[in-house]
Amino acid sequence: MSDASLDTTRSNPSTDFGRLSKFEGTAPSNRKLFAPRQHASKISLLWNPKPTTPRRWPIVVGFLVALGWCLWSAGVGRRAQFNPRGWPLVHKFASAALKPELGSQFVSSVARATATTVGYAALGTLGSVVIGAVFGLVLSNALWRTSTVKTVPMKRPWAAHLGCSALNIPRGMHEAVWGLLFVNILGRDPLVAILAIAIPYGAITAKVYSELIDETSWEEARALRSSGASRVSAVFYGVLPSTARDLASYGFYRFECSIRAAVILGMIGAGGLGFQLMQSFDGLAYREMWTVLYVLIAISLLAEALSSRLRKSPSARNLRLGGIGAGIVVAISVFSVKLRPWTLWSPRTRTQFVDIAKRSWPPRPPFEGWGSLVTAMRQTLELSFLAIVLATALSIPVAILGARRTGSQSTPGRLVGAAVRLVAIISRSIPPTVWALLVLFVVFPGPFPGAIALGIYTFGVLTRLFLEVLENSDPRPARGLHQIGARGSTRFAYGILPEAASRWTAFSLYRWEVAARESVVVGVVGAGGLGRILQDQRTSFDFRGMVVTIGALIIVTWFVDRLSTRLRSALR
Amino acid sequence: MPSDFLLFLDRATVRFGDNTVLNGVEFNVGSGECVALVGPSGAGKSTLIGVCNGTVSLASGSAYFAGNTIADTDAWRQSGGRQIATIYQQLQLSNRLKVVHNVNAGKLGQWSTLKALGSLVRPREVLEVTALLQRLGISDKIRMRTDLLSGGEQQRVAIARALRQEPLLILADEPTAALDPARAEEVMSLLTEVAREAGHALIVSQHDAALAQRHCQRIVGLRSGSIAFDLPSENVTQQLFGSLYEIAAAAK
Repeated sequence: MSDASLDTTRSNPSTDFGRLSKFEGTAPSNRKLFAPRQHASKISLLWNPKPTTPRRWPIVVGFLVALGWCLWSAGVGRRAQFNPRGWPLVHKFASAALKPELGSQFVSSVARATATTVGYAALGTLGSVVIGAVFGLVLSNALWRTSTVKTVPMKRPWAAHLGCSALNIPRGMHEAVWGLLFVNILGRDPLVAILAIAIPYGAITAKVYSELIDETSWEEARALRSSGASRVSAVFYGVLPSTARDLASYGFYRFECSIRAAVILGMIGAGGLGFQLMQSFDGLAYREMWTVLYVLIAISLLAEALSSRLRKSPSARNLRLGGIGAGIVVAISVFSVKLRPWTLWSPRTRTQFVDIAKRSWPPRPPFEGWGSLVTAMRQTLELSFLAIVLATALSIPVAILGARRTGSQSTPGRLVGAAVRLVAIISRSIPPTVWALLVLFVVFPGPFPGAIALGIYTFGVLTRLFLEVLENSDPRPARGLHQIGARGSTRFAYGILPEAASRWTAFSLYRWEVAARESVVVGVVGAGGLGRILQDQRTSFDFRGMVVTIGALIIVTWFVDRLSTRLRSALR
Repeated sequence: MPSDFLLFLDRATVRFGDNTVLNGVEFNVGSGECVALVGPSGAGKSTLIGVCNGTVSLASGSAYFAGNTIADTDAWRQSGGRQIATIYQQLQLSNRLKVVHNVNAGKLGQWSTLKALGSLVRPREVLEVTALLQRLGISDKIRMRTDLLSGGEQQRVAIARALRQEPLLILADEPTAALDPARAEEVMSLLTEVAREAGHALIVSQHDAALAQRHCQRIVGLRSGSIAFDLPSENVTQQLFGSLYEIAAAAK
């Protein structure tokens, strides 16, 4: 199975998922950003040339202390968390599941909303692929090889280096944050959602594309260059053809992520299914909510199935079909979202932009002061940590239960496997914001419900990854143990679990960073952390404060990214 | 009679599709015997080893171990199968486990589930494991993670696991294929010595005929799925070895 099949989840700002997982298996690290660490390991190598089994206990102790702290800080066990008065609402909501609203008027408005959301996702993906292709090419080494002689090192202009680092900023900001910015500049325009998807995803795609291009053999292009082809044409004739398939299949994977982003953007006012969902929620129309949720689950199922099919068998025919399909969807989307690109350079946009830029300067702390900002940063950190712990703790048993075993499997086993996959797909196709709204029925507001909501969503993502780890694991150690008469559970514990557990830990750590970024979308509905502050500032048009809060978010994400990278290398 | 031998194959035939990989092989091993299987690639050495431990099923003929028919069932694995230890070329160790657990994995056919799982938390019977590792010269590595060991050390861990099983028979499928000549010599002598000391029968497949001759008492030559010769090692001549490879070359 190709590594691309692991490439299954939403964005990861530092480096994309499947690519990281691939590097995880082979090279120590693909990051050149953190030279100090490599330096340190070199010193320790000199000092102690023998590899030693890494010490786990400091990390385990650290983890337990952090978990205890986070639970205490979220108030677990110190004050009432659960709100028993919410149960009747939950009951009402749950019983509406069997009676989704199917009135023709509502159905047709949901159909329009679906077209809008899919349209945002399609156009946003197109934008991110275009941005990714242009920047990916410029930031890769391909264009900058000046000499055709192998030993001459290529000189990349400093601007390209700078560009690489600059891409970290758009990547570090969640789509929802971009959405909030654009809403203020463009008002209610389809471009808000499209740009909010295209810019952060474009930055991620650029990074992945430049890595893919750099991995491609340079031999063909060298031959072209030495026979007098220009730089650009050498790249187009010698490099791109052999990597085009990977580039295309990555684009389809981004579409899968864009659907989820488009729903969240809808919830903050961009229209479409997310907007419909919020309206129904505000009107306490639970039966309507269920109709939307079912549609949501169906389209993410469809998008995942199509994109994983393309990635598992990226034959020329499949990709061509996918390309034609994508072209049709994009063409329809232009009309279904009523795209008016000229809004972007209209005088009104310009004045609005200048106005907001002026009102954002100088930055100032939130209304309650710097202390509240620090508290919110800490809360965001704690929230994301609790979420990832919860998600991991749920995903491990569920993935073990649902993994398809090689060879024969009984009918009950198959049913359990299918049920697990269904639960996981429902968890991840409903955005964390919606989970937060539901959790807030029965849990008092604060970081704790945010952690639960984000945890449920991340559980869906992690379960999918954990299942893939189990199903792609090396079957030979367990098979050898089977031969000598070991029973099922011991075979698993000795033969499969050790390897799987280390991959699971790595995946959880990657997702922790994504969870930190995503904490903003549970915050906006009042689940605590920086997201709540951002929401307050938005509603009071405090742009100067928003600049500071967004900066704080980027710092938190960056911190978690660093910590997660460190932990992964320590646990390797 | 099947029961006179530890392992007894009677006209064993194996087919993969239309391809006959083993053709009516008659083969037996007594307890404590040391047998080398030699022959070119594709002669059926690995398949023969698979027949012995029950991972390859016969198209016709029969295979007995300690008086019982070798079968692909859990019942057989928990009675006969756990008496046979197999060392594979790729070792099949659990990379992320510590050495002590990988050695104890040899006991999984005998331990209760509870004991096996508990041992992952607090290793059981560490003294026995230490003794084995000491014999193999790597007792200082007992707490190391297996994937951090060198190839030769991992090979010793695999041997220790096989011994830990306290089997009646050890099967080793080309244990020296990936090693340089000096290491190969070392591993072969270690393997044959420890098997002899413990009284385990040993079947080892080998590319290197001279190496096999130096360490095993009996040599079985395989050629395109049939036994070409089965002789005490001192009676095997250079010509006999040569014949295995020449004909294989001529057939191509």
